[in-house]
Amino acid sequence: MGGIWELISNLTKNEIPSPRDTWVVFKEVMQNPMQNDPDYKGIAIKLLSSLKRVAIGFGAGSLVAIPVGMLMGSSKIIMNIMNPMVQILRPVSPLAWFPLGLAIFQDSPQASIFMIFICSLWPTLINTAFGVAHIPQDHKNVGKAFGFSIWKNITKIVVPYTLPHILTGLRLSIGVAWMVIVAGEMLSGGMGLGYFVWEEGFNGGSVAKIIVAIIIIGIVGLTLDKIFMSLQKRFSYAV
Amino acid sequence: MVPLPVSEKIKTVSDIKLKPILSQEPSIEIKNITVSFKTPKGVYTAVENISLSVKKGEIVTLIGHSGCGKSTLMGTISGMVKPTSGEVYANEELVSKPGPDRGIVFQNYSLLPWLSVYKNIYVAVDSAIKNKSAAEKRSLVENNLKMVNLWEHKDKLPSQLSGGMKQRVAIARAFAINPSILLLDEPFGALDALTKSNMHVELLKLWNLDNREKTIVMVTHDIEEAIFLSDRVVVMNNGPAATIKEIVDVPLPRPRNKKEIVHDETYMTIHDKLLNLLIDKFSIDDIN
Repeated sequence: MGGIWELISNLTKNEIPSPRDTWVVFKEVMQNPMQNDPDYKGIAIKLLSSLKRVAIGFGAGSLVAIPVGMLMGSSKIIMNIMNPMVQILRPVSPLAWFPLGLAIFQDSPQASIFMIFICSLWPTLINTAFGVAHIPQDHKNVGKAFGFSIWKNITKIVVPYTLPHILTGLRLSIGVAWMVIVAGEMLSGGMGLGYFVWEEGFNGGSVAKIIVAIIIIGIVGLTLDKIFMSLQKRFSYAV
Repeated sequence: MVPLPVSEKIKTVSDIKLKPILSQEPSIEIKNITVSFKTPKGVYTAVENISLSVKKGEIVTLIGHSGCGKSTLMGTISGMVKPTSGEVYANEELVSKPGPDRGIVFQNYSLLPWLSVYKNIYVAVDSAIKNKSAAEKRSLVENNLKMVNLWEHKDKLPSQLSGGMKQRVAIARAFAINPSILLLDEPFGALDALTKSNMHVELLKLWNLDNREKTIVMVTHDIEEAIFLSDRVVVMNNGPAATIKEIVDVPLPRPRNKKEIVHDETYMTIHDKLLNLLIDKFSIDDIN
């Protein structure tokens, strides 16, 4: 990896900085990560502000997606009504939602949260609906035969069966949310990692900073994915 | 004096005590049932115009080829299948949905894989029985698990159990809600012959422990199983639109002994009769 990077750096005559130069910039960026002055925020503060927005958008998205997905999965009628809407809205680029959010909230940080909210809906929604729709008849029969209440049906059959599907959806959603936040912050400006990439990296003329940001974004994304993967493992059961 | 063999002793004791229990009271009344399903290829009639009456404490098996509608007929008693016409009465009440007076044991055990053995039974008891305290429900679960010798496995998940153990859990679950009618849908179909044989005896043990008051209806395609367990064997025609071909009485005294019963003349006659009713090809010479 390092060798290829070094080679590319040489070929572009250091337009792309070498690993060593990037490491210097990395240490510089990491120097005072918690610096929280009004005119300059450290990298960790930026990262946390990005994570906070992802958490809010993703959390709200999931709170909507899981119950709606369950409704869709449990009723063919609701599925037939909702599914065309989902299929039309799902492929819309995250960037297209941003101006709409801006129009609704008149506030760019909130618009980027809105964008994350919308984009993190779909994978969870679709996976939850799929899970609920495929609950085996055997499990449903247990509920029927022993007269489970609706609540018991949800907590003892629907949720446990669907949980692995929901977690798969959440894992995909958090990936999308993390991908979208960088774009959102580039558009909204002011805060977060996306702003760092654009303002300090591109406008500041430091490709090394862009690379540093990419690495940080990648590592955080990987960590988020690992967290949800471990949840998935924890809640899968042998049938 | 030559001592009686053990089985003889049991026979004399329990038969005196238990004989009067089999009453004439009807437990299940099936009246002119027809069940049709809508399929993409049109209406499919599974069973047609079936009437059957089962007495309290009786063990009846429904036997027939695969797809002959025996499970469907069973479903109308449990309330899982709605008849297209006709009606079913269980304990003199019209069946419209499953109820706690009818315990069901499914063919594929139908245990919830994410719940322990104990919890699988507890959720069923908790839902089906309304007028008992949590402590009483817990003791019901405990008693029934001990009855099928699975108490030490109570914390295991179904995936950690063998087929026979899973079926015992399913039976304990059905018994735990103390239904007056027990409906078994090919309960031992997935078990090997040895386990199956043990399960037959265990089932009868549970039935005896309960003073033979429970009515048991069982779907099977195993002739030996049907004769060993039941008072009457209902032979069904092949579907679609299956009907009852014949009802064969099994007047063998209880308790029955698996080893001895096969040499009994009545047993052999019934066995032959059922074979003739169910099978039309006995050797390669019979294939046209």
